[in-house]
Amino acid sequence: MLLRFTGRWAWLTALFVSAAGAQSIPERLAQCAACHGAEGVSAISGTPSLAGQPELFMENQLVLIREGVREVAPAMAAALNGVKDADIRALARHFAALKPPPPAGKPDAGTARRARELSRKAHCGSCHLPDFSGRDQIPRLAGQREEYLLEAMRAYRDNRRSGGDTIMAASLYGIADADLQVLARFLARLP
Amino acid sequence: MKRTLLAAALLVAMTAYAQPKPPPAWHQGKPPALADSKLAPLPGRMTETPASEIPINKLKLPKGFAVEIWATGMPGGRAMARGDKGKIYLGTRGIGRVYEVTDDGTRRSVRVVVDKLVQPAGVAMHGGSLYVMAINKVLRFDGIEGDPGVAPVDLTDKFDLPPEQHHNWKYIAFGPDGKLYVPFGAPCNICEPPKEYAQIRRYNADGSGKEVIATGVRNTQGFTWHPKTGELWFTDHGRDWMGDKGPEDELNRMTKAGLNFGYPYCHAKGVLDADFKRADGCEGVTLPVSTLGPHAAAMGVIFYTGSMFPKEYQNTMFIARKGSWNRTVKFGFDVVNVRPSKEGKKASVKPFLTGFLEDAKAGKFWGRPAYLLQMPDGALLVSDEQMGAIYRISYVGKK
Repeated sequence: MLLRFTGRWAWLTALFVSAAGAQSIPERLAQCAACHGAEGVSAISGTPSLAGQPELFMENQLVLIREGVREVAPAMAAALNGVKDADIRALARHFAALKPPPPAGKPDAGTARRARELSRKAHCGSCHLPDFSGRDQIPRLAGQREEYLLEAMRAYRDNRRSGGDTIMAASLYGIADADLQVLARFLARLP
Repeated sequence: MKRTLLAAALLVAMTAYAQPKPPPAWHQGKPPALADSKLAPLPGRMTETPASEIPINKLKLPKGFAVEIWATGMPGGRAMARGDKGKIYLGTRGIGRVYEVTDDGTRRSVRVVVDKLVQPAGVAMHGGSLYVMAINKVLRFDGIEGDPGVAPVDLTDKFDLPPEQHHNWKYIAFGPDGKLYVPFGAPCNICEPPKEYAQIRRYNADGSGKEVIATGVRNTQGFTWHPKTGELWFTDHGRDWMGDKGPEDELNRMTKAGLNFGYPYCHAKGVLDADFKRADGCEGVTLPVSTLGPHAAAMGVIFYTGSMFPKEYQNTMFIARKGSWNRTVKFGFDVVNVRPSKEGKKASVKPFLTGFLEDAKAGKFWGRPAYLLQMPDGALLVSDEQMGAIYRISYVGKK
């Protein structure tokens, strides 16, 4: 997937690398919108929605990506190259204030039942809160893109996610793909 | 004894059978009563906090002491090591950086020495070299104070670091014996730790001569040596999910190598574990000199030997308590003054620097003091991991 990004978005990478250091906040936001959607609601597979994410979560992730601690698609990493902390805080504030993405329909009863059972066992709501709206450094899961949630959980479980705290990897340890799919389907359909 | 062992083995086997997948490492041992708890690890900041956003006036100290902001701009900065030429190095966790602070006498400037590491919490100076220890890497920067661009020597292979990450970010320090002391925390909240964990080791400076010197240590994030006896004193974090009362964090004293400090069976001053139950769980266990409060997150510890503070502080200890997350009413978020008895068998614990915690019930706090450093003039530096700042405490007399 990373390779595909390099090819398809190579022009964008070049643009970001040349300009990342000295852009205004509106210019940066326009760049964000190109992939993450005008109102922070992504229409691109594999690209997360950012609208309504907790401010500190946004701040921390943007820093981890800029620092190269969290590895992401090259275009994303390039966009944050050299961005100052003050700008990162402004971007985080912007996305935190946007209306969270609309749910992708309603979960069917079976999915909802199974997902709630899984979530109870894995204690998801303890940190992400029972309505999965997230808080502080902990992301909102409700209404996030389904395929993004699934891949994020798989990556945590398989220790492929760099820069995450050790807690999240440990939280998903041993959960089967089929169960992660149920969780992703359910969470994407929550308001 | 045999029967107890058999019962314990059976219990472990049954638990394993009933629960093929271990619960998340930080969550192990959460009782049903806390199943709906919304307690979560506290949020840390990764962006720079300017001095103007640090409410330093909220801090309180005993009469005659003053505190000022000494350096800012080090998000996540925690353990501090000072070189002979006065540069100070700080480790971090999530943000993956090591900082260098240079003091020109009036102002401090900060640069990043190395980044992109996996929780490089451990920093120590020895023979003019900076040692950096991440969870999975050991680097040595020779002569770094005079040679800022020096390429590091990678010592990782020499140290035999085990793979688990949880509780394996490190505090490190060189002892009076010239050896490097390194903790390996339990990779869980509560579990029977694999043999490479829940221990303190020491090594020669080059990584050779590995020796396990203490076991049953859950997660020590600070230690130091007594200025007169040379004994190692260390803080240790108590386990989570046994309620607001504890078990409390510990201040331990290592009178000799080879002692067992109790984890996972025996906590604090003889509290048996709720999950790993063994009637004789505290037998043969070295109990702490003092407890340090429930879920307090006791971190850095020093013996004060400077000439600036009043005499009563001489050879007493200061301990930073970063503050609790696994507690409904928050606790800690301060620096305490700890005075051991003459025999070193008990100690008094009194608040020294407070004011970081604004509302314990609402969980409102603004700073998290993590580590301490005594300066040549006797002033005390305190790192605040939340604000990415260092404060300087001095004694100005009774005005």
